[in-house]
This record gives sequence, C-alpha cells and structure tokens, in this order.
Amino acid sequence: MATRHRVLAAVIAGAVAGGFAGSPVTAAERACVTDDADRVVCLDTPPERIIALSPGATELLFAAGAGEQIVGTVSYSDYPPEAKDIPRVGSYKRLDMEVLVAKQPDLVVGWVSGNPTEQLERIDALGVTLYLSEPRDFDDVATTLERLGTLADTSDLAQARAQAFREEIAAIREAHGDADPVRVFYQVWPDPLMTINDDHLISQAAALCGGENVFGDLASLTPRIDEESVLARDPEAIVAGGMGEADATWLDPWRRFDSLEAVRKDNLFFVPPSSIQRPTPRLVEGSRLLCEQLERARERR
Amino acid sequence: MSGAEGGVSPAAAARPAIGSGRFVPPLLALLCLAVTSVLVAVALGSVRVPPAELWAVLTGDGSPLHRTLVLELRAPRALAAFAVGGLLAVAGALMQVLLRNPLADPYVLGLSGGAAVGALAAMLAGLGAAVVSGFAFAGALLSTVLVFGLAHGTGSWTPTRLLLTGVVVAAGWGAVITFMLAVGPTERLPGMLYWLMGDLTYARTPWVAFAVLGAVCVLVIPLGRSLNVLARGPLQAAALGVPVRALEWSIYVGASLITAVAVTTAGSIGFVGLVVPHMLRLVLGNDQRLILPAAALAGGALLALADTLARTMIAPEQLPVGVITALLGVPTFLYLLYRSR
Repeated sequence: MATRHRVLAAVIAGAVAGGFAGSPVTAAERACVTDDADRVVCLDTPPERIIALSPGATELLFAAGAGEQIVGTVSYSDYPPEAKDIPRVGSYKRLDMEVLVAKQPDLVVGWVSGNPTEQLERIDALGVTLYLSEPRDFDDVATTLERLGTLADTSDLAQARAQAFREEIAAIREAHGDADPVRVFYQVWPDPLMTINDDHLISQAAALCGGENVFGDLASLTPRIDEESVLARDPEAIVAGGMGEADATWLDPWRRFDSLEAVRKDNLFFVPPSSIQRPTPRLVEGSRLLCEQLERARERR
Repeated sequence: MSGAEGGVSPAAAARPAIGSGRFVPPLLALLCLAVTSVLVAVALGSVRVPPAELWAVLTGDGSPLHRTLVLELRAPRALAAFAVGGLLAVAGALMQVLLRNPLADPYVLGLSGGAAVGALAAMLAGLGAAVVSGFAFAGALLSTVLVFGLAHGTGSWTPTRLLLTGVVVAAGWGAVITFMLAVGPTERLPGMLYWLMGDLTYARTPWVAFAVLGAVCVLVIPLGRSLNVLARGPLQAAALGVPVRALEWSIYVGASLITAVAVTTAGSIGFVGLVVPHMLRLVLGNDQRLILPAAALAGGALLALADTLARTMIAPEQLPVGVITALLGVPTFLYLLYRSR
C-alpha cells in the first residue's frame, strides 16, 4: 500500500513538475549500494563534497571519476599527484573531527580496519553519509570502483575502469598463473621483521604470478617473524617494499646469508610499496612488476 | 591555627564552620580556573569559530555547522575531559592517603592494567566502541576484586600488603598487555596504543563521568576529617575513634570505582592522578577537607586544558592527551617542589 501511495504521489509530483528532467521516483532513491560492512548506503543527489579517510580510498575515488569532488583526505594520500593538494583532515589513525565536520561532507569513505571505530561511529551518528570500505581481493577493488561510481553518478567511467581492471588482472593470471611456482618471501617491514599471510592482497598478487608465499600458512594477516624462520623456509626470491618509493636498502641485510637460495641467485627484488600494498587499480602495475621479477627468478634456475 | 582564634574555646575551634572558612578563597579561585578551562576548551579547536558566533551558539542560535562543532563535538568532549581529570585527581588523593605512600596514583593497584586488558581484548575482537568501554569497566572491576581478595588473604591486612599485591597484579596485567600488543594485528595497533596513552576520543558521553564526579564530591568531602586523622597513621586514628578498617576498605572500593569510571571513559590517562594532589598539597597544605574538592576542580581544569592542546597543537593531526598532561604537569610540579624547599 505504502509503495503504491508513493508511486501515486510521485506520478502527481511528476505531472506538476512538468518539463523538468528526471523522474521524482528515481531522484528520491537515486543511488543505493551495499558497502563492505554490509550496510546500505544511499544518496539522493550526486555528492559534491567527499572526504576519503585512507590513501587507498582517495585513489579509488579518483579512479571512479569522483576525484574532483574530494574536499578532504588523510596524511600520505599521494596518488594521483592531484591528491597531494587536497586538504587533510588528520591521519587515518586519528581524524580531526572538527576539520572533517567543517568541510560539510555529503559522503565520507571510511576504512574499516584503519580508522578508529569510535570515530567512524561518531561520523555516522552526526548524520553524515558514510561508506565503509575494506577491499580484500582483486574483485573487491573492481566492485568498490563500481559502487563508488554508482554513488558519485559516474557509473559509466567507473564501470569501464572496473572492467579494464578485471581484464588486466585476468590477463596477468593467464600469462603467469600456471608458471612453475617460485617460493617467495615478501618483507613488509624490517624492524620488527614482518611479512604477510595468504589472505593479504600482496600474497594474492604473488599467486597471480605463480609465486608461493612461504609464510602463507601463518594465522595473522601481517605476522611478525624472525630471521631464523626465513632461513628455515629458504625462499627462492625475497621481495621487499621500503621506506620510500625507491629505497631498496631493506634488501641489503639479507646478503650476509649465503645459505639462502634467494641470495645465491641474487633474487632480491624491490617493489614500490604503494603500488602493491594499497587495494587500488594500481595493483595491476605492482602485479606486473612482481611477475617480471619472478619470471627473472625462473630464468636463473 | 591563627592568632584570631586564640580566644575561642577548643570545642568551637573544631567546628567545621571555622575550619572551612579558610577553604573558601582557594576553592573559589579553583572554581574560576575550572570554569575558564571548560570555556577555553569549548572556544578553541582546529576550526576557528569567531567569538560572536560562539556566543550565538551558546545562547541557542548560530549556524548549523557551528552548532555541530561546539555543541556536538567540543562541549561533550570538554565536559568529559573535566570530569575524568577530576575523578583521577580525587582517586589519586584517596590512594595516597590510603596507602600512606606519596608515589601512589589511581593505577598503582593494577586497576588500569585490568581495564586495559579488557579494552584491548575487545579491540582485538574488532568490537564497537560501546563494547570496548564495557570490557574496560569489567576488567577494572575484576582487577579490584582480585587485589582485594588476595590482599585480604588469611592474615592481617596492611597498606604495605595491599600495595605489594596491587603492584604485582599490575605487573601481571602489564605482561598480558605487552603480549596482546605483540601478537595483535598491525592495523589495530594505533587504536590500542592510543587507548593505553589515554585519549578523549573514546569519550562518547560526559554524563556518566560527571554524575560520578558529583556523587564523589558529595560523599567523600564529609570524610575529610577522618581522612586527616588516618593520614597520620592508623593507630592514632583508631585512638581518636575513627573506624580504621571500615574507612580503609571504603576508600579502596570508592577510589577503585572512581578510577574505573574514568578509565572507561577515556582510556588510561596517566599523571593527573599522581601529580595534581601533590601540587595542591604543596600550595594549600595537607588538609584532606580542602585537598579533595580542590583536586576535583584542579584535575578537571588540567585535563580540559591538556585536551584542548592535544586537539589543536599539530591539527589536523591529533595527539593523545597523556602526552600533554605530562608536558604541562612536569615543569609545574618541579617548580612547586623546588620552591617549597
């Protein structure tokens, strides 16, 4: 009944509105998507003032065609280059709620595991539309692009980008997925020594290239380990991120362990961390680079 | 006693009215400081709200944005900071009397450790802010009961025994906390560290802490005289007719509950509970009838001001308030201590 009344009201309203473009029914419920926390997020009008609460969310919004509308983001949002000029609302670990509210956002894209829960709850309680993001695999990246596109009314572009991303990832899988496995150790951080397990996107990227994460079976997403366990699992290749985007010094300490197969064959590789540690379309570049490196390791057999 | 009271009979001199007369000026001064601190906390933030706009908001007017900033973000947080600071300072003053130890603070008996284990466990499980508070409160109570039961034991009870039990239980909690930080997922570490350092971001509503602060002031201040006697030693107190054992246990339970509410509201904020009572004693003398209400006001003012700095110093980046309480408190305390020689 209620629905029929609403349709009736809409029809009347539509008749009154006459020549204006767009049907009032679709205007009232213009865009609804389900976010990564299984909440339904709806917007009546395309957002004009978006705040992204992680560097990854900033990249995803730009890729989905909504970069122009971002009015605030957090520290370390450095890609694409335009993102560097967006005003900051604090760091992802602690947001400055006053600055955030003063920007009067009509959409906030939060990061479930990165932002403080109590601050996300506060944003929601203040009545700001909140999309919670937590892409865990390649398909989540594509889906997030599509959803952000739906919310921002840039669906055409976002869907094209999502489709291109899926195809490129599929092409990489096609080219390398069935190659001979290379046993890989990915170093997230040197002190304490940290790696990733198979649930992590980086491990999924390695699997795409026929890489086999030697610490994939550990329980924690980013386990802290010791050098002995690296020696014990004797990886064929060691891949490291770094402090900067071109700082490969983290690899040098491994060279003193001649017993490591990766050291003997000089399979010590560097991947710029932001291209592989962030769940964004740039994973294509990061994965390609990683695949080339693992291919080089295969050639050195 | 001043010369003016020389002609008054001893019975009259003991009347609270004459004693409390001296307390009015310092308490009025601290009340002014307290009100000022809360006003400063409401007026300042990382976004500038012009004084005229601020006045409009406070008188029920103003733009929606400024109303949100002042009434929904700043005011609850400023009041929560004040209430938590007051609670911690009163709890610290009580613990120092109870244990007759100048190093005692609200956390010395392991209460913050228990609360931290509860809060961090809830964070590790990825639960919401309300559950984190609930777990923290449960952890604080568990620790209180544990220390109470163990210190009670079978033998006689002394402050030293209570202190030792508390310190060792605290060390145990410390080990559990370190373990949780070591195995916890990396992405949850910042939140856990901020909780351990104490941060008013966790304060969702100031009213619980404020109600408890009000109740504490009403309940504890009449005990001032007995506490004064107790501070001189349990034998003297017993000789003067103070029910020592009952008083000691009620201080312990009371101070623990006060601290539990404070820790549940804003994490384990250090320093306020240790240093504010000492500062006040250096300036005002060691009369618990004055020190307890003064601690409520001064502790509140210190934390409200410290939180304002934490929000604004390197805005939009946010600091945990524990950093600021120590940065403000250490030089002030050292100056007072140096001057008092």
